[in-house]
Amino acid sequence: MHIANLSPRRGFLFAAVALLAFAPDAFGAITCSIKTVELPDAFSGQQLLVSDNGIDATRDATYTTSDPKVARVDAKGYVTPTGDGSALIQITRGADKLEVPVKVNGFGLQARGVDFRTEVMPLLSKHGCNAGGCHGKQSGQNGFKLSLFGFDTQFDYEAIAKEARGRRLFPGNPDQSLFLLKAAGKVPHGGGKRLPAESSDYAVVRRWIAVGAPASAPDTPKVTKLRVSPSDAVLRAGQQQQLLVVAEYSDGTTRDVTRQAEFFSNLDVVAAVDSDAGVKAGKESGEAAIMARHMGFVAVFRAIVPHGPPLASIPDFKPNNKVDELAVAKWKKLGLKPSPTCDDLTFIRRITVDVCGRLPTAAEVKTFTEDKTADKRAKLIDKLLDSPDYAAYFAMKWGAILRNSKLAGADEAAVAFHHWLKDKIARNRPYDEFVRGVVAAAGEWQDAPAINWLWQNRDDQLHQVTADVAQIFLGTRLQCAKCHHHPYERWGQADYYGLAGFFTRLGRKNFGQPPPYYASATPTTGEKDPTTGKTPEPKFLDGPLGKFTADEDPRHALVDWMTEPENPFFAKALVNRYWGHFLGRGLVAEVDDLRETNPASNPELLTFLASDFVKHKFDVKRTIRTILNSKVYQLSAEPTDDNKHDRQNFARYYARRMPAEVFLDAVNFSCGVKGGFSGVSANARAVDLPHEGFGSYFLDTFDRPKRVTVCECERSTGATLGQVLLLANSEEMESKIADGNGRVAKFFKEKKSASEMVDELYLTALSRPPTIAERKRLSEYIDSAKDKQRAVEDVLWAILNTREFMFNH
Amino acid sequence: MLDVALNRRSLLKVGVLAVGGLTLPNLLKARAASGSTANRKSVILVWAAGGPSHIDMYDLKPNAPAEVRGEYKPIPTNVTGVQIGEHLPLQAKMFDKLSVVRSAYHTNAGHGMGSQWMQTGYQATIEVNDNIFPSTGSVVAKLKGANEPGLPAYVNLPRKASFAGAAYLGASYNPFTPDASPNEAAFQVKNLKMPSRVSTERLEARKKLVSDIDTIRRDIDAKGDIAGLDTFYRDAMEMVTNTKAQNAFDVNKEPVKLRDAYGRNDLGQSCLLARRLVESGVTFVTVQAGGGWDTHSNNFTELKRKLLPQYDAAVAALVQDLHDRGLSDDVLVMSMGEFGRTPKINKDAGRDHWPGAMSVLYAGGGLKMGQMIGTTDSTASYPTSKPYTPGCVLSTMYHCLGVDHTHVFHDDAKRPLPVLSEGDPIKELVG
Repeated sequence: MHIANLSPRRGFLFAAVALLAFAPDAFGAITCSIKTVELPDAFSGQQLLVSDNGIDATRDATYTTSDPKVARVDAKGYVTPTGDGSALIQITRGADKLEVPVKVNGFGLQARGVDFRTEVMPLLSKHGCNAGGCHGKQSGQNGFKLSLFGFDTQFDYEAIAKEARGRRLFPGNPDQSLFLLKAAGKVPHGGGKRLPAESSDYAVVRRWIAVGAPASAPDTPKVTKLRVSPSDAVLRAGQQQQLLVVAEYSDGTTRDVTRQAEFFSNLDVVAAVDSDAGVKAGKESGEAAIMARHMGFVAVFRAIVPHGPPLASIPDFKPNNKVDELAVAKWKKLGLKPSPTCDDLTFIRRITVDVCGRLPTAAEVKTFTEDKTADKRAKLIDKLLDSPDYAAYFAMKWGAILRNSKLAGADEAAVAFHHWLKDKIARNRPYDEFVRGVVAAAGEWQDAPAINWLWQNRDDQLHQVTADVAQIFLGTRLQCAKCHHHPYERWGQADYYGLAGFFTRLGRKNFGQPPPYYASATPTTGEKDPTTGKTPEPKFLDGPLGKFTADEDPRHALVDWMTEPENPFFAKALVNRYWGHFLGRGLVAEVDDLRETNPASNPELLTFLASDFVKHKFDVKRTIRTILNSKVYQLSAEPTDDNKHDRQNFARYYARRMPAEVFLDAVNFSCGVKGGFSGVSANARAVDLPHEGFGSYFLDTFDRPKRVTVCECERSTGATLGQVLLLANSEEMESKIADGNGRVAKFFKEKKSASEMVDELYLTALSRPPTIAERKRLSEYIDSAKDKQRAVEDVLWAILNTREFMFNH
Repeated sequence: MLDVALNRRSLLKVGVLAVGGLTLPNLLKARAASGSTANRKSVILVWAAGGPSHIDMYDLKPNAPAEVRGEYKPIPTNVTGVQIGEHLPLQAKMFDKLSVVRSAYHTNAGHGMGSQWMQTGYQATIEVNDNIFPSTGSVVAKLKGANEPGLPAYVNLPRKASFAGAAYLGASYNPFTPDASPNEAAFQVKNLKMPSRVSTERLEARKKLVSDIDTIRRDIDAKGDIAGLDTFYRDAMEMVTNTKAQNAFDVNKEPVKLRDAYGRNDLGQSCLLARRLVESGVTFVTVQAGGGWDTHSNNFTELKRKLLPQYDAAVAALVQDLHDRGLSDDVLVMSMGEFGRTPKINKDAGRDHWPGAMSVLYAGGGLKMGQMIGTTDSTASYPTSKPYTPGCVLSTMYHCLGVDHTHVFHDDAKRPLPVLSEGDPIKELVG
């Protein structure tokens, strides 16, 4: 194999592609990344990667073989052996020609067995046999069950070779094996024809059966790594890129597994991939991650389809800080020009909603616009972060993430936990301390109200706590690995149960709601690690086993490990969550789904924010300041022709609906009425509510989280008919608009003029004065009305029903 | 041969990603279904939250010991050999138009988890107060939509039922609900009628105002929510000002005699309203069969006094009404709860939670009627033949609607989750 010489080229290849992506197609010399092909056995193959001036031309070239008795080559540049010997593969593109020598030396070794684990198992995955819809599901299919996605070699071997008294295989006449008859569709098979009898994959299985269907020897090399070449490329719409996948094995060998691997694109509209590793850029600009999967390992190719030609500089955009510099670097590569900076009026509304979960007052708007100092935005950011509203809003946010609910008699504890959260946030206690207070919470709820988080997980304590810790604090959705190897990640059951191992001694008393929690000396769970059959043992993710004495609480060691500066998950998960909060989308989306196969849209930016967060001792407010002081956060939401297709790279602010609680508060504030929730202070706003148990048709209709999952996606942005009817056609809204002590009623007590009223309504609800046309239209409407108070109510109704009001933009 | 019809790539992708999902024949079926003209099939699910007592309704055990068999006696139905409980006399007279599966079961005796399981087909691992998986009505709303534009696809009567939500399908597929009982004299759908202070002229003037000032660009978000909202505004305003939806919800238009036959109570009038709705083009209606089914004490008194008479009348009237209107093949009526009740009577003359066996009623929908399907043991504790899981119960319903229950959604963790994780339609019903 001559793959090794490819890797130094990758950087070059990428750079060349990047520079030439928009150059006119010129025929130059074609090159092949594979200089010599060596095929060591009958089942090997080699994908060629042909490029022309650095641009992939693999599927635009034609291929011929000098000796079909030695090697064949298909139209996609994939070489397979037909007999021992040497041959030449001729590659032609236009006038260009190139020859690549092929050596086949193990073809005649008929005795060579096919290895079950490395050669047969991947085919079960590739052809979908072990998928969850077929033989991989819990109950199998028609009495034949395989391990889901093929992560259990021994199980699958037993199932195929031994179960049903061995009737699935017939070494004397392999083609008559039930296993092949079914797979080839020669006898009725619910899954249809998966392995056509003439295919090379069929031949592999046939050979394995013919030599007696041996199990893999224990020392059979295992895959240790998967590489995909190239690792990334800039593609124009419609442009193709052939990929090549190489597996590295535990014995140091490598093998081309391009045709054995499976491929998935996370964004087909940007770049799609076929089963022979051919990527094709679609019509949408943006980035796609193409995952290659083989034997539980994954490797990612990133396709970048730029919005325009690469830019040398973006002169109109002057970076405020490092965030901006890293964003610019990305935009230049993508040919993406940002929208201009938003105006002051837009800024104060946006930031007050994002930081404090409320609209700015008319007075705040006025003060801010009249302030002429250069650093007034930075000053406003500081002022809002120091206000109690910031703590109130983020306590609400974290209350939903940490499922702070009053279910199971926890009313009082939920209130206490809410205040605990608010206090930690208001005092900007370091995030590591905050997390320790939750993950290692112990004692009675009066002292450690965070145990309400544990109590809400009471029905499935071990698994729910494990999955929540991984998702909330490590940004890793590990729950798949509870039952099977994570299909898009390297995590397996050993990793999942290793994390669960930190919670096996978490005990709770049998009185109180919630009861006191403590670290027991012995296991409190009957759950077993299915890979060992024993109580799960603590193991750090990607790290060593943890050993603890009976009087230690392993949870503290877990937090110690999470908060180590080198921990690859902890800081990234937090900064990504906050980026998502302020920018409307995580650098990794969703915010708690960090994994190799779901790369960040700007990895350098994510790394910078995470390392800055670590360097400054998990100072959350500092991270927020860094984000908010960036120009990126302060861009206009209005797209330009240059960035109208951008949905991942923040070249403009993505407008979004206000969360339910913020929106209800905004409506009440605009109408000049109070929240009116029972059981709390009359002044309590919706964002102040400590848990979900305060009945409100409005909040439920606008999708207030029920606090049943840790996922922030519990808040749906999808509109419903019920929401629109409520806003546009309800007694509830009418009673707010026409409240006897409300804003409109006060106007008339104060005898304001029509234009004064219009101005105040605009400043209050939309945080801006009306345009001249708007003031004229609305004042005339009021002045010409018989019942002027009703006319002002109509104006307020109209403002509250604009998209401008409903969205933070 | 099949390979020709679909490219290999899509096959592979389907094969690999569809956990519990699409086999090739199903895929083709789904394609065919999506291309065909929309059918007008619909479902009315009568949901007896709390857990109706199967052993006192459809699966009586007169030969069991006294502490199991209880106070009620079986009565014959108009289908030879089939008996049901004495407090369902109206259904007994029309059993040829009904089928009951006695051998449905699952394994979770909690209200929340049981309700979620029966209404979604998925077993939750934690007790929560809202859907983790989408309810069947939400699935139908997403995959089939309303049978008639201008009407919601999925309605709950009289209020939203627990675990009837859309979960990861998104808020747009949550049920629409009047939030008021059609049994009230002043019944009206919440926010469908104009507020008292607003007239048509005033609403028109307001709409004009908003269209003049709402000039913000529609392309400033990244998800298309703003444009989506515009569509909902158009639909909502049409519902408010147009007669179609108002008429569909106006249960007062029904003849007094028919209203009486359904029963002058929340359940009866909700069933009647459900019929009006599916007739007008709503696809899925969940009717709450009232509270009180969780009969931990005084089981026999409670059932006999109110629960069973109301339930018997409402279901019988609904099924008869659908037959009279020639709608019985297009509309499937189903009735069930989250589980059955313990065979052994407790010290408070009640029965507790029991998922080991439960009865599910089907009527119409093109299914084979007049059958008592499956058997349970001598104490109605467990199925002894034809055990059917929640997935079987629900896939039968999807079958009636022409909704592919192997269709795959992705949840928020991007896990591929088919509409149902297990279970195929009940053979005795679908033939």
